[in-house]
Amino acid sequence: MSKLAAVWTYIRNYWLVYLIAGPGLIALMLFTYAPLLGSVIAFQDYSPVTLFLSPWVGLRNFGMLTTSAIFGRLVVNTLFLNVLFITAETITGLVLALLLNELRAHFFKRVSQSLMFLPYFIGWPVVGVMLLSFIDYDMGIFNNILASLGVDRIAFTNTPDIWPWLLTLIRIWKNAGAQCIIYLAALSSIDLQLYEAAAIDGASRFQRMRMISLPLLVGIIILMVLLSIGRIFYGDVGMIYALIRDYAELYPTTDVIDTYLLRALRVNSNYGFSAAVGLIQSAVSLILVLGSNWLVRRYSALRGEDYALF
Amino acid sequence: MIEKADWKDRLYITFSYVFVAIFALMCLMPFLIMFASSFTDDLTLRLEGYALFHSKWTLKAYQFVLRGAEVQQAYITSVARTVLGTLGSLLVISGTAYALSLRRLKGRNILAFYVYFTMVFSPSLIPWFVFVRNSLALRDNMAAIILPMLVSAYWIMVMKNFFSSIPSEIVESAYVDGASDIVILFRIILPLSLPVLATGGLFMAIGYWNDWFLPLMLIDNAPIRPLPLLIIKILNNLSSLQEAVKIPGVIIPLSSVPTEAVRMATAMIVIGPIILLYPFLQRYFIRGLTLGAVKG
Repeated sequence: MSKLAAVWTYIRNYWLVYLIAGPGLIALMLFTYAPLLGSVIAFQDYSPVTLFLSPWVGLRNFGMLTTSAIFGRLVVNTLFLNVLFITAETITGLVLALLLNELRAHFFKRVSQSLMFLPYFIGWPVVGVMLLSFIDYDMGIFNNILASLGVDRIAFTNTPDIWPWLLTLIRIWKNAGAQCIIYLAALSSIDLQLYEAAAIDGASRFQRMRMISLPLLVGIIILMVLLSIGRIFYGDVGMIYALIRDYAELYPTTDVIDTYLLRALRVNSNYGFSAAVGLIQSAVSLILVLGSNWLVRRYSALRGEDYALF
Repeated sequence: MIEKADWKDRLYITFSYVFVAIFALMCLMPFLIMFASSFTDDLTLRLEGYALFHSKWTLKAYQFVLRGAEVQQAYITSVARTVLGTLGSLLVISGTAYALSLRRLKGRNILAFYVYFTMVFSPSLIPWFVFVRNSLALRDNMAAIILPMLVSAYWIMVMKNFFSSIPSEIVESAYVDGASDIVILFRIILPLSLPVLATGGLFMAIGYWNDWFLPLMLIDNAPIRPLPLLIIKILNNLSSLQEAVKIPGVIIPLSSVPTEAVRMATAMIVIGPIILLYPFLQRYFIRGLTLGAVKG
């Protein structure tokens, strides 16, 4: 069959399928792939007036990155905060799951899981409002407790150093419950006979947890962490923008790449520079995802398993 | 099961109960505080601070919130956006997932790569912004706050996995009997996929309800600002808050607006639907979480 006839047969057979899938495919094209082409802005001296026809400046925008004090700080903040978040959430979720797994009281388990999972669904702007009730200087609960203990009140919006830890606490509040549920689901698939055998051999609950539950969870822990590493160069802009907003004193410790870019857009500042930052972000993330996936595949092959994503 | 209740085990169990209980209560606390603070007035808040119980109970804050023109508009926008977005997403995503799950489709894996690659690589902000706003003219309209988040490769993957688990004989025999793909999709696959559609729909709906990023980026002037955006605005400055609760044609001395309490009340009505639905739909919430974690 000639090439043309083969194509024609393909179209004739599958045109309806493509019609059905079309909107989704087009949407992905429009909102993911096409903007990638727009990354060309990173190489231009872009201005909203001249759009994509702006003068070409090659790597000058990238050169500015290395000398920019801002960029260094943004990268540090982004990575530091993300590492804090991933670690704290995973450990807390894991601990909660391991503890819950041993408990028998059905009602208690269900109610506590419900409560822990609830914050996951609350949008960050609302969390921002909740935060107010805690950190407000005069009326906030934290400060009221401090005052009643005779300690000085803390002006949270003026104390940048405390925020990485505060943000981590908030992240734990919001996500640890969800993590716990995922790990619990994994735990529930472990054969109960393993525990019984260990108990007969004299292992305490704690030992059974350490020797059975934990090692068998390694697979899913790695999977979860792997997923997070791919996004480690992307700051949680949803959270940080909604909580930090315009408090510029807090930027040194909390401003991440994405919040900076977002503000750059609103203030109409150097698009070329910002685009360069964004491009680096995507490139590094791609390397990280592929790299970590490869690492995991190697590691899991050693143990005879397959933990990799793809 | 052999249970030797020695002291080490009992200690471990007790510790577990206490730890989990404390954590669960900590998760609940902010909700209770916000709830309590929305039913009081600013004077009480200023005197007593935020707490679980206040000395004065009033509905004034809610009166302001529920009658504010901007708040009502925001609520309507959010509801419309969520309903339209969720239905649209479910349709479009199942369509793409159907194609990916179709065994007889040649070149399926190229398609799969096209779709899944977007999970790894997301466009950076500036090019996305410029392209979507200018080239696509998605600005100041309802489409702008729906379309960009219409499809997500993750949900395509989840649905495709589910569709693939439907026995292929059913699909194939229908096809052999002359059913078109549309019929197969709507008459066979979707009815069998209600669990996934329900769970996915729930999560998508929550995503639409809570999203403030798209409106922030793409809505400048139009009166279609959804609720979360309103919250961000009133968090930033009090005058926005006072603007939001105005009723056209009624003059209210701004000093009488209980701003702190109104903020709490506004946040309450934003999370209200989610909290109300939560107990009834909990099963779906939990299932949605573990759907993606199960590989393959």
